[in-house]
Amino acid sequence: MTEPRLGHPLLGLGVGLRSVHYPFLLEHEPAVDWFEIISENYIDSQGRPRYVLDQIAERYPVVMHGVSLSIGSSDPLDFDYLGKLKALAGEINARWVSDHLCWTGVAGRNSHDLLPVPLNETVLAHVVDRIRIVQEVLERPLVLENPSSYVTFAASTMPEWEFLTRMAEEADCGLLLDVNNVYVSSVNHDFDPLEYIENVPHERVVQCHLAGHTNMGTHIVDTHDGPVIDPVWNLYAHAHRLTGGMSTLLEWDSSIPSFPEVHAEVLKARQVISREPHGDVTQETAPDHGAAKSEAVPHPAVFVTAEAE
Amino acid sequence: MDDPMAQSEPSLSTLQRWMQSVITHPAGVTAGIDSEAARNEIDVAAEEIEQVITRSRALDSIGRLQVYGNAYYARLLDCLSAEFPTLRHAAGEEAFGAFCFGYLQQHPSTTYTLTQLGAKFPQYLAETRPARVSADGQPDWMDFLIEVARLERLYSEVFDGPGEEKLPLLSAERLTAIPRESWPLVRLTTVDSLRLVEFRFPVHEYITSVKKGESPSPPDPAPTRLAINRRDYIVRRRSLPPLPFELLRSLRDGLPLGEAIERAVRHADCDPDDLPAQLRGWFKALTTNGYFLAASLRDHLGDPEC
Repeated sequence: MTEPRLGHPLLGLGVGLRSVHYPFLLEHEPAVDWFEIISENYIDSQGRPRYVLDQIAERYPVVMHGVSLSIGSSDPLDFDYLGKLKALAGEINARWVSDHLCWTGVAGRNSHDLLPVPLNETVLAHVVDRIRIVQEVLERPLVLENPSSYVTFAASTMPEWEFLTRMAEEADCGLLLDVNNVYVSSVNHDFDPLEYIENVPHERVVQCHLAGHTNMGTHIVDTHDGPVIDPVWNLYAHAHRLTGGMSTLLEWDSSIPSFPEVHAEVLKARQVISREPHGDVTQETAPDHGAAKSEAVPHPAVFVTAEAE
Repeated sequence: MDDPMAQSEPSLSTLQRWMQSVITHPAGVTAGIDSEAARNEIDVAAEEIEQVITRSRALDSIGRLQVYGNAYYARLLDCLSAEFPTLRHAAGEEAFGAFCFGYLQQHPSTTYTLTQLGAKFPQYLAETRPARVSADGQPDWMDFLIEVARLERLYSEVFDGPGEEKLPLLSAERLTAIPRESWPLVRLTTVDSLRLVEFRFPVHEYITSVKKGESPSPPDPAPTRLAINRRDYIVRRRSLPPLPFELLRSLRDGLPLGEAIERAVRHADCDPDDLPAQLRGWFKALTTNGYFLAASLRDHLGDPEC
């Protein structure tokens, strides 16, 4: 029998580590349950990002979240990259290592986007094979996140929750359930987000992501640039009840406010999980008009700007 | 691995190469679907696209692909804007966007990290620059922009590259304690983060001014020699006169102190009477700036440190 969260600890309510918050975090050492890093911003760093990470890892639990594993690509796995992930995970005592069910590029290129895969038997077998290889290299279970997506393929033969479930069970990996992504994709692909949440294997959900998004009217873009909306909180409450608790993390990657404001947003989860799940999980929010219309760009990878005199 | 898609469907690699061609096409996804690269993978016209990409209730298949197509260049343009903010300021939004658009087509990202995305941008600008109008050899506006890009890229490399924050540096006291008779043969090891670069414009001052939120006028050409290193995880830049710049370059290249001074004096054309005082002052300054790790009496490992 699979242990809840694959045996991983319940870390509480965490925040994605972003470079704009470095000075605040080093100066104030706020009480935060845990941090998640974008792995690619640190695996090669020999400068301030790695220095700050080492300070953070001494004080808080840290989880590594990647955006370039490209587990669904038909390109070969990058073993140099995997070696670096493994090394950093050991050095900072990463509680787990996660990435996305996606591909980021093919033929040697990287779009730095999280592109969806066709959901069918042959791709499932391909992804499961690659997860097993990655887990052998990392010597730990991989945790994979459901991506937000904007297209579906004629070649797909099963819903995403079924693909994720079978993938996790066949590869014996964990899941990072991004409830905002479930909501975004449910609107973009006309499915029931509650059915999705109810059907994923709850004991394999190690972690949860929350974030804001931008409603374009015809679709939603996963922009990570604002507070979490009520339907996503309602989905979160359901997921929390079904899983028995998930380490929960807020992502905020564009128009990033002060650290206390970002932290306060994830702390709202305390109120949400203290009440019985209720409320609409499919309610559509009003489209965001104006500047957002042309500027809504998902930024799964974050560039760290140099600090110079 | 075997073909991960069924025979009746395009293989996963075919579908992915097709989708990548479509969403990264510079003229948009409709042109991308009709492009030779895409049709070599999946021969489907834009009006038949639902054979590959299904529609949603609210958005047709082309519109759905456009979400990825619009985001591809916009996202990478944002990254280049973050790495080259002064180039963007100097060139203006439109020209900077055009530079990036051309660059990303010629040099798409091929690594897992965004830190390499801008690595060839200065070189690309130099290779694709318009021909100089004047024949007087004076640097022009494009030369200035290329130098801004070169320095901003150097800042990125030094910021996250090797540094010496955890190593003891050579102090001025330790350097001056070396017996005078040993000086000609002493070799100084420079820090890994040190970069010595020459520019035709004082681009460092322009970059600093833009970073402060000012709107500086583009500077007139002026020979500029910069020593760039990292201390306390911040990139530092110092403009140096010819003598210490040449001295530092010779020492970095591994010359012993005696030869380094001779070479620097030849290049810098300085007054011999004033030389001892100048050298004393400059060695103190160069050491204080943290450019040296150690001093030794021979050029191979195992020889004694001074």
